[in-house]
Amino acid sequence: MFEIFGDILTLYKREMMIFKSHIKTNIARSIIFPLMIILVFGNLNSTSSNVGVAVVNYANNQQSMSFINSLSSGRAISVQEVTTQDDALTLLANSNVNAVIVILPTFPSTSSGNPSVVVYYSNFNSQATAAILPLIQSDAQKFGTATSNQNYPAQQKQPATTSIIPLYGTSSSYKIFLVGGVIAMVAAFGTIFGGGMSIITDRELGYLKSFLIAPINKNAIVISKIFSGVTQSFLYIIIALLIGIMDGATIAMGWIGILWIIALGLLISFGFAGITTVLASRITRIEIYTITANIIVMPLWFLSGAFFPTSSLPSFMVPFSVYNPMTYATQGIRDVMIIGYYPISQMVMDVSVLIGFLAFGIIASILLFKNYID
Amino acid sequence: MKTIIEIRNLVKKFGDFSAVDNINLDIKEGEIFGLLGPNGAGKTTTISMILGIVKPSSGKILVYGIDNLKEREKIKHIVGLMTQETIVDSELTAYQNLEIAGRLYHISKNDIDAAIQLALEEAELTEFKDKKAGSFSGGMKRRLYLVKSMIQKPKVIILDEPTTGLDIQNRTQMWTRIKELNRKGITTILTTQYLEEADQLCNRIAIIDHGKIIALGTTSELKKMISKGQILEIITNKDSVSRIMDILESKFGLKSTAKEDKIESFVEKDEVETLSKVINTISKEKLPLISISLHLPTLDDVFIKLTGSSMRDTLGENKSDRSSVMLKR
Repeated sequence: MFEIFGDILTLYKREMMIFKSHIKTNIARSIIFPLMIILVFGNLNSTSSNVGVAVVNYANNQQSMSFINSLSSGRAISVQEVTTQDDALTLLANSNVNAVIVILPTFPSTSSGNPSVVVYYSNFNSQATAAILPLIQSDAQKFGTATSNQNYPAQQKQPATTSIIPLYGTSSSYKIFLVGGVIAMVAAFGTIFGGGMSIITDRELGYLKSFLIAPINKNAIVISKIFSGVTQSFLYIIIALLIGIMDGATIAMGWIGILWIIALGLLISFGFAGITTVLASRITRIEIYTITANIIVMPLWFLSGAFFPTSSLPSFMVPFSVYNPMTYATQGIRDVMIIGYYPISQMVMDVSVLIGFLAFGIIASILLFKNYID
Repeated sequence: MKTIIEIRNLVKKFGDFSAVDNINLDIKEGEIFGLLGPNGAGKTTTISMILGIVKPSSGKILVYGIDNLKEREKIKHIVGLMTQETIVDSELTAYQNLEIAGRLYHISKNDIDAAIQLALEEAELTEFKDKKAGSFSGGMKRRLYLVKSMIQKPKVIILDEPTTGLDIQNRTQMWTRIKELNRKGITTILTTQYLEEADQLCNRIAIIDHGKIIALGTTSELKKMISKGQILEIITNKDSVSRIMDILESKFGLKSTAKEDKIESFVEKDEVETLSKVINTISKEKLPLISISLHLPTLDDVFIKLTGSSMRDTLGENKSDRSSVMLKR
């Protein structure tokens, strides 16, 4: 009865020894993808602007021009110049922009009691506003002028330009957004192209037969493959996370967040390890497996919001993202990194979807594999 | 001799196709039993059923009186298998390879090291035990694989084409090892592509075709079974081939076949004088005669006569045959 654990351990040990002997290739292969995506795409986009701001320039002098330039350069602010204050406030009232900056003719004024920059903001998108107000303030201070902030009531209407803010996060760093997606990706890919896939080569080269003629529990073969795949994923998750952190990504939840990220990554890799064994026990050629696995995992990954918010998908594609286990891993990891302790209901949702996927993958793989070898 | 494997009315169907069609076979303790047949004849399926990895459609296999459907675990300890492919992990050392195999056969922690050392000695690999198997030569890998397949000390070993792909030296070495195993009292079931190998090693041979046993016996029994006659072989030069064939036909009533400069004919009645008469006639005609012989049919002749095909013709298909057995189910 308990022999199965010994068998799993023996087979797992074999898998790991083989993995270890190719460790350099495996790690190089696993690093290149996250490294490229995080370093290239994460940094490529770091100067782009996200929060819409309308600027009314009554001063129209050299300093006010350079103030506007400094606002729009390298930060999270997208500047839209408007001629009159009324037009600007209409934009704000309609939630087309998050704030209105009015530069008075006295700009730059060095007198502290007499601000020459007035910022109108709405509370509609408080996260975005909270993020940009200090930015505007610090920029204005460079010109020796004070700002006055005034709350302005906005109409409750979904603004197109601001809807993306909470997804990318208040720090509006696409890098952090991306790191979450990449971790979910390496977790899934680590098991899809490791672990269970070796069932195909084991069968082709006759190893599978040599296991089958040994007096072992057949489920041990599947389970050891699943664990070996998950172990590989675990390593890749750590590597991707380290690359992300070294490149400047932060985790809002703190140190505990790291455990959360790993846990979510492991859940999704267990699920995919199951899918891998299901596929590998049916497909006999590695080339066909690679194609099939790509056909399955690429759209899942693409539609999980690993690269861009799922809310930007066209509506007919939204179901593909909702009924996609990877969405929940990506979302969960990202929430841990960006929001911190995200709403408990969302957490429960993410974890239960992933556990459901895991259970499905493992049960299906054991049933199908048993069916296949009997 | 005691019968240790009894196969009774064994049938295996894959859909409408009968891979094994009602086979009955007794294998005796301590013998080397040859299982020959062209590709797709049902050898591998039969072996897989003895090992308990393919379920028969009907029929029964008893190994040492144990029904292999009911007590598969026991059978697995009794029967070992060495396949045509060399199944050793090249990433693992010789020791690790044997260790994994030993553990899968649940050899206890106290005994496993001794078992591995013994196996390494048998394979003459003790000094290479910590070297990765990937760095081994083909013969070394094969030796490692043989001791690995016998780590559980089985009473019966099935050797599925043990020498395919080996060079002459390694093949002769493997033959010596097989004979050694036999001396130790291990019953051996052997399938092979090389008929001279079966001729050399096997006590008894069964020829399978289309899932049926079409002949069973010792090599000489098989040779006598296909004919009481002998084969006349003449080598001459190409230009004279047709004339010699005419002479054989008209004067001796012998039908013959020719290939390049070789003429083969079958002499049914074992007349002592046939050979000298043929020689005389040909030399009278002043036709060139490079070589002439009259001999018993070889196992190849038996095989071709019985199955209508030559084994080696289909050598390349062997792999797909094997995997199709695994796949078809």
